[in-house]
Amino acid sequence: MIELIATAESLEQAEALLDVGADRLYIGGHPFGLRLPQPLSLEQIEDVIKRAHQRGKKVTVSCNALMHNQQIAQLPDYLQKLADFGADAVAIGDPGAMFTLKELKLELPFVYDAGTLVTSAEQIAFWVNQGASGAVAARELTLKELFAMQKKLKQPVEVQVYGPTCIHQSGRPLLTNYFTYTHAEAPDQQLFLRDPKNADSQYPIFEDEDGTHIFSTEDLSLIGQLGAMQEHGLKTWKLDGVLLHGDRFVRIVALFDEARRAVEAGAFVPESFANRLAKLQPAHRPLGTGFYLKNPEDVH
Amino acid sequence: MTVIKNKPEVLAPAGNLEKLKMAIRYGADAVYIGGQAYGLRSRAGNFSYEEMAEGVAFAHARGAKVFVAANMVTHEGDAGGADAFFKTLQSIGIDAVIISDPAMITICAQAAPGLAIHLSTQASATNYKTLEFWKSLGLERVVLAREVGIEEIREMRRHTDIEIEAFVHGAMCIAYSGRCTLSNHMVNRDANRGGCAQSCRWKYDLFDMDEGEARSHIQDGEPFSMSAVDLAMLRHLPDMIDAGVNSLKIEGRMKSIHYVSTVANVYRNAVDAYCEDPEHFRFDPAWEEEIWKVAQRDLSTGFYYGVPGEKEQLFGKPRKIPKYTFAAQVLDYNPETHLATLEQRNHFGVGEEVEFYGPGFVHFKQTVRDLWNEDGEPIDRAPNPMMTVTMTVDAPVEPYFLMRKK
Repeated sequence: MIELIATAESLEQAEALLDVGADRLYIGGHPFGLRLPQPLSLEQIEDVIKRAHQRGKKVTVSCNALMHNQQIAQLPDYLQKLADFGADAVAIGDPGAMFTLKELKLELPFVYDAGTLVTSAEQIAFWVNQGASGAVAARELTLKELFAMQKKLKQPVEVQVYGPTCIHQSGRPLLTNYFTYTHAEAPDQQLFLRDPKNADSQYPIFEDEDGTHIFSTEDLSLIGQLGAMQEHGLKTWKLDGVLLHGDRFVRIVALFDEARRAVEAGAFVPESFANRLAKLQPAHRPLGTGFYLKNPEDVH
Repeated sequence: MTVIKNKPEVLAPAGNLEKLKMAIRYGADAVYIGGQAYGLRSRAGNFSYEEMAEGVAFAHARGAKVFVAANMVTHEGDAGGADAFFKTLQSIGIDAVIISDPAMITICAQAAPGLAIHLSTQASATNYKTLEFWKSLGLERVVLAREVGIEEIREMRRHTDIEIEAFVHGAMCIAYSGRCTLSNHMVNRDANRGGCAQSCRWKYDLFDMDEGEARSHIQDGEPFSMSAVDLAMLRHLPDMIDAGVNSLKIEGRMKSIHYVSTVANVYRNAVDAYCEDPEHFRFDPAWEEEIWKVAQRDLSTGFYYGVPGEKEQLFGKPRKIPKYTFAAQVLDYNPETHLATLEQRNHFGVGEEVEFYGPGFVHFKQTVRDLWNEDGEPIDRAPNPMMTVTMTVDAPVEPYFLMRKK
């Protein structure tokens, strides 16, 4: 069974995502969740969990911030509430958060999600040994590496099949610092960085309570590789809508659901799905395969 | 008078054997080095096993320790041979390994039980529970993330007794270490496997997309950049020591002998001065003066007293820092003739103002009055690298004293 995971920004969008085939929603709030399309309050999280469960679907709550003392001190209450709400899992990327969860002895599974730092089967085995139900693979891996990793593991290796990926997290307010230095007002719009040596590049950048985040120049898409992924046992697919709001993201999730059903029925035609995704994709955000189709030896 | 008995360690980088020896001569209690694999400084001079053994013998004879950084975040296949690597390090007598990757920690713990493991700053340890977790797995020490403040360290110390190592000096990642793959995405060089291209220090355009059109937000021609100034906690060592930091880390396995000897010398002297008599401790401005002689960027206190603002990034014209050059190393000294024998490292000549410095924070300036080559012939300049020359010095020097010039 292929599992389709989608980020949700509101109760309304959550329902729409469940309607179009998401099996699991990924939501969260401050100050524990990292890079969410919209941070949700505990009440909203409880509501989303209720609605999902009514439909037999699941919810993972993001707790994968790099936590400082102050956050870690508040974490037990938060985890307790999530367990009371019946959250199906939490995503954790800080060993201290994991240690806290274990001490609480809650019925709350966790998936290990430390962004760039999950790059081998042996690392995932380490976190599984600590109690993780699986792990989210770094986006800097190639499919060749991911296939090899999944082959060694019983637990699912979660792969991001759609959306931008974070390539830099600073604890500093880098935009504020720039605009303070230049005595300018920081604009409200979504900003991008361009590497002058690469005229087409456009790396989204934003600031929040956790610092500054920079994302990939392309939205990752594995729509053409879903068949191969299924063949190699990579069956946990995540779609990240951190920078794509409202109905458009829902329609993209719907397309991946359709693709998933085609893959399961052995009737998957990559080109047709790739063309349809290209039509749904915002005009100024190119799609790409990031590192997924590179050879492992091309990156050193 | 209260003396601080649990003096923290001064930990210096050593890019090669010569730097290792110099760092220890100049006061480092411990040095960290890289092996031929598994590290993050693929371009730093890394140590062969033979060099490691020589370094360990040198360090241990002087009561100092040697740590090996094996802090690569491995992909499939990268960890091959790591078990033999750790076993060899243990047999050589390496005092600890610095690791960030849990797969490597597992391999090390199995292959070389008893070899102390320090968690690398690449793992971004930012809270006391994380420290407790690694302690529960048997790690001896955690190197904190650079994003941790002094107050946070104090609180960590109240919660856990694992050894805490924290950076006090040198260049910094502007990102949480390990959580930046700019270099991977921009130039296919894996930052977490030693390939970092320092993309954060590049200059960028900053723009929004107004109905599909890029609109620049670059102000007055100042490009957007994310380049951090360097860290220097020299003025705040009492805070670091009182907060319970066990090891004060100096960054820079790529740095020169001139840099490493100078920085180790200063921190050694300052830490000793404070620990000997904390109540009457006075900051010596000469320490700071000395540090500026090898500084490469402006200096700051990083996250220790709050989140860094725009002044802690490199914008505008870089600060002019007077450049000092490493000119020679003392090989010998004759106290009767006041003649020092020097090995040239950069050209210098008669009439130039130079400065000698040595371990124990000894330093003095003088003008070069005379110069003889190896054959005892008077010369005006010492033009050739590694040539041996003799000159009269105004104060006593010893072998391994170094000479710099502006």
